[in-house]
Amino acid sequence: MIVLRKFVKLCIPLCLGAQFLAVDVIAQTPPLKKENLQKGKIEFQQNCAECHGNEAMGGAGPNLLESPLVRHDNSGDLIAPVIREGRGGKGMPAFPLMSQADILDIAGFLHARIEANNNVKSSTFMREHTLKQFLTGNAEAGRQYFYGKGRCNTCHSPTGDLAGIASRYSPMRLEARFLYPPHNNIMAIVFLPSGKQIKGKLLHLDAFYVAILNEDGWYRSWSLQQVKVEVKDPLTEHLELLGKYKNKDVHDIFAYLETLK
Amino acid sequence: MIFLPIWKRSSSIKTIAILIIAGAECLFGQTSIVTNSIPSLNDSWPTYNGDYSGRRYSTLTQINKSNVKSLKLAWAYQTHAATLKSTPLEMHGIVYFTVPDRVWALDAKTGQQIWEFRRTSEGDHTGQRGVAFYSDRIYFGTPDAHLLCLDARNGKKLWDVKIADTNLGYYLSIAPLIVKGFVVVGTSDDIIAVRHFIEALDWKTGKVVWRTSTLAEPGTPAAKTWPNNRAMNHGGGSAWITGTYDPDLNLIYWGTGNPHPVLAGAGRAGDNLYTCSILALNAATGAIVWSFQTSPHDTHDWDSVETPVLFNAKFNGRPRKLLAQASRNGYFFVLDRQTGEHLLTSPYVPTNWAKGVDYKGSPIPNPAKEPQPDGLLLRGAQGGGTNWMSPSFDPETGLFYVNARKGYSLWHLDADAKSPPEDNHGGGSIALFTTSILLALDYRTGEIRWQRESGLGLGYPGILTTAGHLLFTGDISGNLLALDPSNGHVLWHTRPGGMLNSAPMTYQLNGTQYILTGIDGVLYAWSLSGSL
Repeated sequence: MIVLRKFVKLCIPLCLGAQFLAVDVIAQTPPLKKENLQKGKIEFQQNCAECHGNEAMGGAGPNLLESPLVRHDNSGDLIAPVIREGRGGKGMPAFPLMSQADILDIAGFLHARIEANNNVKSSTFMREHTLKQFLTGNAEAGRQYFYGKGRCNTCHSPTGDLAGIASRYSPMRLEARFLYPPHNNIMAIVFLPSGKQIKGKLLHLDAFYVAILNEDGWYRSWSLQQVKVEVKDPLTEHLELLGKYKNKDVHDIFAYLETLK
Repeated sequence: MIFLPIWKRSSSIKTIAILIIAGAECLFGQTSIVTNSIPSLNDSWPTYNGDYSGRRYSTLTQINKSNVKSLKLAWAYQTHAATLKSTPLEMHGIVYFTVPDRVWALDAKTGQQIWEFRRTSEGDHTGQRGVAFYSDRIYFGTPDAHLLCLDARNGKKLWDVKIADTNLGYYLSIAPLIVKGFVVVGTSDDIIAVRHFIEALDWKTGKVVWRTSTLAEPGTPAAKTWPNNRAMNHGGGSAWITGTYDPDLNLIYWGTGNPHPVLAGAGRAGDNLYTCSILALNAATGAIVWSFQTSPHDTHDWDSVETPVLFNAKFNGRPRKLLAQASRNGYFFVLDRQTGEHLLTSPYVPTNWAKGVDYKGSPIPNPAKEPQPDGLLLRGAQGGGTNWMSPSFDPETGLFYVNARKGYSLWHLDADAKSPPEDNHGGGSIALFTTSILLALDYRTGEIRWQRESGLGLGYPGILTTAGHLLFTGDISGNLLALDPSNGHVLWHTRPGGMLNSAPMTYQLNGTQYILTGIDGVLYAWSLSGSL
């Protein structure tokens, strides 16, 4: 319940923020009319709903009603760059040709959805489940899995990177994140014909070319006919564990992580 | 049997069809392992799937394995609209394609716009798969669940009929199927608990000829697969992908979607017929002649709407009229399409929602793998092993091609047996890890003959195969591809600047074969000679 109280506290400033944002929108641009919201809904459903859900409450992609970026957006100033440039590492495609008017309509729709969601206890699953619903596992068994079978402690520490993790995420997000956290930090080593090796963050790899962000911050790309590539995904162990967990393990580990407040 | 095109000029087309089929077999000096008695596609692309079979296999050979490397851009058309999810039609030198609320007619040689039709509507704008063409008319479904009839020459509206109530969540995303002068459509949506249906309308007037509910009728044996009429009458079974048709058997084959509430199965104990099923309908009456359920008592949104692909081939040494479906639930099914007899059930991606296969060939759902209030980790991608993107069957290789997805997902239940869910979804799912892959399946065994990694994440690229020994599709990494259908080797590729989220199609006009691909909001035409 502590988490819930914190969630509510967190919501209050965010809700207020959303309302202020709405006022800002009205101050800076013509007031959002029903037709703008309707157009925004159509644009959203056509372009975004496949991943973010018809009502923007998530699916393969994140719930945008929970998104800090969306909640802090002012007249599309934060949303527009994400739509236009995409988020390659997270699977969000770019829509470079979308007009500013369409983006504003989408932003208007999202802000209206947030307002509606804040005011009405709507009935979808993304409305937070209570912690009690999730606490079905055994924390001690989870701890043993963490240090034993799972070998989680080889990369993570309850007093280091995981300290306070249960306070940072809602129960549902915490469960999904420990299973397979969203990330975009796959590393690659590119072996040039000269024998030189270049390391960097992997930006693209398909059957034809590789692109990395070099350690000096520059983008580099090569045809795969010219180079060889070695990929290092820090989440390889997470992926392997997905194939090994029994459902009881999932709930035990969750119960253990929930003790890390 | 030769495909009889449903528009005028049928006699001349019939002649061409015979020549092309004969030519295809001679050209490559080999005998198809699958017979050609299913209608073949010729110069035009007159229906959503090209022909009635759903194979998306064209007999055109001008663009082929030996010259596809020289493929050039012939024209492009910028819609400035949403992602193209429709398969264009090509008839009489005109290309017709859609997004929700909008239809375009273009010159098939140049991409020049001939007309555009717009109708703003309420309702769900998730997608629009295309139009149907019949007797110089265009048939178009709308987000507010209306069916429109347009004059194919100029896009002028001839009539507008309401199919269902959009306030109850219904919408039409489907490309209608024309069968003997009937315009056949199926309804979409999952938001509100309603009955879904497949409906045939008169092509001239839009009057309903027959309507078949995708849920059992009260008092029938199938109704016993529901706990009560109330659950059944709110039970879903949307029918949102275009079916296929066998003119010889006069049977329409149509897939149905999930039951309602989507993830909460406690209030609807039983198999929940005819949700997540393949239906064979009498084309004249709509009566269900046989049905096969791919996911009894579904609790994972495993719609069985994926195209039921028809072909004739030997199965266990015996010539059969077959139907194959790579279903969203991760299983590949082969049925005898005359009788509905089950022949093969085989998983094509790793998944663990089922604990076995029953005597009828349907997977048996494992109750322990249903969504749970505290979360259920499932082997299998969140949106299923595949989705609405079109598969293809190549009679030359005997392979069934499908863009598939593998991964893990997390499933939460909102409700329990004591209380109904608070909404029609009854829970939700989170994609933990998804990777996409193009598979070539042996229809006789379900075995993967070759595969090509498509990329991390997911997309919706459809597939086209041709008698030119080519397979056209896109991958998740932003490539448009022509592959060798016998082994998956890349023969041509380009980066068109976006994703292919519909199926490629092809036609031949004035001696030039074109391949059309919708990339985001731009329609690209490719040919060997490039621009006119």
